[in-house]
Amino acid sequence: MFSGWSWAVHCLYLFLNICSFEVSGGLVQSCGHIIPESPVLALGSNFTALCILNESCLDFGNIYASQIIWKMKNKVIPKEQYREINRTVSSVTFNDTSSLASPLTCNVLADGQIEQNIYGISVTVGLPPEKPKNLSCIVYLSPKVEWYMNCTWNPGRHTFLDTRFRLKYMWPRETFPDCIPEYVNNSCTISDVQFFVNLEVWVEAANALGKAESDHLVFDPIEIVKPPPPRNLSVNSGILPTVLKLSWENQISTVVMELKFNIRYRISSDTNWMEVPPEDTASPRTSFSIQGLRPYTEYVFSIRCMKEDGVGFWSDWSEEQIGVTTEDKPSKGPTIWRTIDVSPSPAFWIVRLMWKALEPFEANGVILQYEVTIRAKPPLSHPPSRYNVTTTSLTLKLPNGTYEVTVVAHNRVGASPPSVLLIPSSNSKAPVKNIRTLPKDGKLWVGWTAPNNVLKYVIEWCLMSNSSDCITEWQTEPGNIQGTYLKGDIKPFKCYLITVYPLFADGQGSGQSVKAYLQQGRPSKGPTVQTKKVGKAEAVLTWNHLTVDEQNGFIRSYTILYKTVDGNETAVSVDPSKTEYTLSSLTSDTLYTVRMMAYTDAGGRSGPDFTFTTQKFGRGEIEAIVVPVCLAFLLIVLLGVLFCFNKRDLIKKHIWPNVPDPSKSNIAQWSPQVPAKHDFSSKDQMYPEGSFTDVSVVEIEADDKKSFSEQDLKPFDLLKKEKSTSEGHSSGIGGSSCMSSPRQSVSDSDEGETTQNTSSTVQYSTVVLNGYRDQTPVQVFSRSESTQPLLDSEERLEDHAGGSDSTTQRQHYFKQHCGQDETKTERPFFERAKQIISANEEDLAGFAQLQISGQSSQPLGFELEENTQEAALPDVLQTSSEGQTVRPETVEGNIPSVDEMPKSYLPQTVRQGGYMPQ
Amino acid sequence: MAAADTPSATLRHHDLCSRGIRLARKMRSDVTDLLDIYVERQGLDASISVAAVDGVPTAAVERWAEQTGTQRLLDNLAAYRAFRTLLAQMLEEQRELLGDTDAELGPALAAMLLQVSAFVYHLEELLELESRGAPAEEGSEPPAPPRLSLFEQKLRGLRVLRELAQWAVRSVRDLRQLSKHGPGSGAALGLPESQ
Repeated sequence: MFSGWSWAVHCLYLFLNICSFEVSGGLVQSCGHIIPESPVLALGSNFTALCILNESCLDFGNIYASQIIWKMKNKVIPKEQYREINRTVSSVTFNDTSSLASPLTCNVLADGQIEQNIYGISVTVGLPPEKPKNLSCIVYLSPKVEWYMNCTWNPGRHTFLDTRFRLKYMWPRETFPDCIPEYVNNSCTISDVQFFVNLEVWVEAANALGKAESDHLVFDPIEIVKPPPPRNLSVNSGILPTVLKLSWENQISTVVMELKFNIRYRISSDTNWMEVPPEDTASPRTSFSIQGLRPYTEYVFSIRCMKEDGVGFWSDWSEEQIGVTTEDKPSKGPTIWRTIDVSPSPAFWIVRLMWKALEPFEANGVILQYEVTIRAKPPLSHPPSRYNVTTTSLTLKLPNGTYEVTVVAHNRVGASPPSVLLIPSSNSKAPVKNIRTLPKDGKLWVGWTAPNNVLKYVIEWCLMSNSSDCITEWQTEPGNIQGTYLKGDIKPFKCYLITVYPLFADGQGSGQSVKAYLQQGRPSKGPTVQTKKVGKAEAVLTWNHLTVDEQNGFIRSYTILYKTVDGNETAVSVDPSKTEYTLSSLTSDTLYTVRMMAYTDAGGRSGPDFTFTTQKFGRGEIEAIVVPVCLAFLLIVLLGVLFCFNKRDLIKKHIWPNVPDPSKSNIAQWSPQVPAKHDFSSKDQMYPEGSFTDVSVVEIEADDKKSFSEQDLKPFDLLKKEKSTSEGHSSGIGGSSCMSSPRQSVSDSDEGETTQNTSSTVQYSTVVLNGYRDQTPVQVFSRSESTQPLLDSEERLEDHAGGSDSTTQRQHYFKQHCGQDETKTERPFFERAKQIISANEEDLAGFAQLQISGQSSQPLGFELEENTQEAALPDVLQTSSEGQTVRPETVEGNIPSVDEMPKSYLPQTVRQGGYMPQ
Repeated sequence: MAAADTPSATLRHHDLCSRGIRLARKMRSDVTDLLDIYVERQGLDASISVAAVDGVPTAAVERWAEQTGTQRLLDNLAAYRAFRTLLAQMLEEQRELLGDTDAELGPALAAMLLQVSAFVYHLEELLELESRGAPAEEGSEPPAPPRLSLFEQKLRGLRVLRELAQWAVRSVRDLRQLSKHGPGSGAALGLPESQ
């Protein structure tokens, strides 16, 4: 505890000794110092600093030079750079001052642990100034008419130090105050410059590391003057239309210097300057007349000056001034050309004379009018006609012949030389040959092979377009050339029709034309291809040529590209003159996609896709198949007919056997009477009278059904029992294509054990109670085609007095259920059907007996012969459709009683041999 | 004299004469303008007649054509040294009177003083080429001018400028003479140099 307190006191003592060595005045005296104090060092040089400890510190703090630690910006400097000179002095050395950073401090480790700062210095590193270079001076005249001199120089590299530049100047025997730049280090301006005395000028640069001087310049300031440009430039028109006079004021007195001048001028619409020869303006002056100008032309002038002897600088160009020369008469006549259209009258021409407006340099003024003179040549003898027009064309109707047309342009000053055009009656002279074009330098060049003695050429051209008429432009060329550029706005991708006419002194040659493009491009669209005709293996394609607006160049070729859905594309090249092409070797019944590309020299473009399907059969193939088939069919039919005709007796025997007349049957004689009130018209047709003679028909009057009691049904029970023992009974009536089963009634009663099924199968027959004709009504089973419940039939019978209506309805109902036979058939029924078949076979035996006796009806016999098996199904199926058709309560009431039908025949169990009357 | 015979000395002499003439012309032009400014600023009448003032060299001289080149140079040098002193005195008086507020007369006087100094340099150089050397100025301090009233100062200043204008014309003529005869022409005239 005591030692710790002692150590703290010792540290405090040391601190006070090191850092707070108090001296008089209350200032804190450092325990040492560094030499040099805040040095300015050259960048890259070596540097050594010394830290010198005070002796007093040695005594009180036991601090020695060996304890000194050098730090640079709080970073300890490696001890390798230290050197202990003696017990109070330590040095640190830097080989390159670029690594120095401020502050550089001298520190000690008191007691080997506590680091205390002794002293610190700030080090400034920089470069000495370089010698200023490229010193140059120019003397100007200020707006206050005071001469001042501006000198500039290159200050050299950056020194990282505060470097002062001074522009020094002196006369040989008189010095002047230095010119000190403000805000810059590379220029300075001296006022009150005096001429005619040599002035010595130089620049001095100085900073903490040194001083440098530029080379000394000695000159008379008058030699480096850049004078102000002449002012108040004015332009006056001279007497001549080609002369303008310039006047100006010089801003420099001739006492100071004499001046020479440069004058430049240009046409206002031109950007290129022309210059008056310098020797013409090399002497002092304040005016100058410029000659050789164009009449009636606006010029722009500018002037500059410099010391007459050429020593010094040119002034800036003065402000531009505009002057206009006066008018002169036109220098040449307008170039003239014509077009000749056919007149409605064959003896006349419609001549349209055209001439080009003179260029400004040719017109030399404002053209007021054109005077056109037309002279007819022999054999015509018309007097010359004159026209004064202000436009550049004139259309005349002239008799066919040779004419000389003269055009003269007039302005305010005078008339132009005449322009003459000979219009011969025919272009009988030699034309140019081998006309050709060539795009060149963005212009279209046209060349030709010239005939002899050509006076000049006229080149016509027009832009070909579908959307506008061909507006003719033209130009004339001298007769000694064989090619020229078209002087007009020739556009790329446009087709031009160029025609060259040679003009001779006594006539002209016919025009030769050529089409040309300045630049070709790809067509703007491709041809739209269509099929004209499609066959099995070939297709005829057609298309229209692209319009000239769409071509963008010469169409060099067409390419037809076609392919199947999954096949490779095939290309066919087609001559550009064609509009039709036949694709061959195609696959039949195949979808093809075809498109067409049009190519110019610059490329091609495709048209829209078109699809077509080749035919399945070739031409005549269908006919080749159908005709033989038809012929074969007809032959078969014919053979069949012949066969049938030959075998007609046999066929009739099997299909339409002779049916005995029922009226002659014994039964007919036995039957009391024929029911009168029934309308058997339809049945009569189907079953002609007498056709039922071999059939026992039981007809039950619907009105009587209600009176049937259950007791009355007993005989049916008996029937059932009989049926169960002798199935296969069939009335034979109603056998139809709908497979109504003659066994139906039997199986119904057999299956249902109730009258439900019976009622639902009443369609089996209709019991006709009426007598036949005047005979006592007999019980006749008339086949009912209705499957409706009996109640319905009853009600309808009540509603309709005639039984034919109800019969019709029942027919519908029956037919509806015919269609359900197959779907509703169940196995037990089929089993029974088989039984029925056997029964029917037995019936056939009986039927045969009936036929022998001549009592079998024709339809009945036919059906039995063909559908003996199927005929039983509908009735069977009808029984199975209980849910749909059976109405027990109704059936119960409708069961007819045999006892109550004494005058009718009840269906009996058919035994072999037919029905048995009761 | 040897130096005056060399081609470079001849060229130098010609150059000095040429530029001296142009400087004298410019002084003549500028002093004319300065006189207008001075009369205006000092409130004087331009037509006022001022008698000769002591210390102001007079351009008029008898038998001017008979003067040697050196004599001409010496006369000019003496005159312009005197003008230099007088102009410096005028500039000082002007500053005392108007301060730096006058932005026209003061700078014009200063510019004229510079031109006079430049012309003195030309004359001294020409005398050097004459192998004569420029005489030293009389004393380090010019004799103190008598204390004048303000009006007298203005009149004296007017007289100085007028005489300077006359001297500028004379100097042009003198230098033309010198330029015609080249360096050393003073002896060729046969006139005693002591004159």
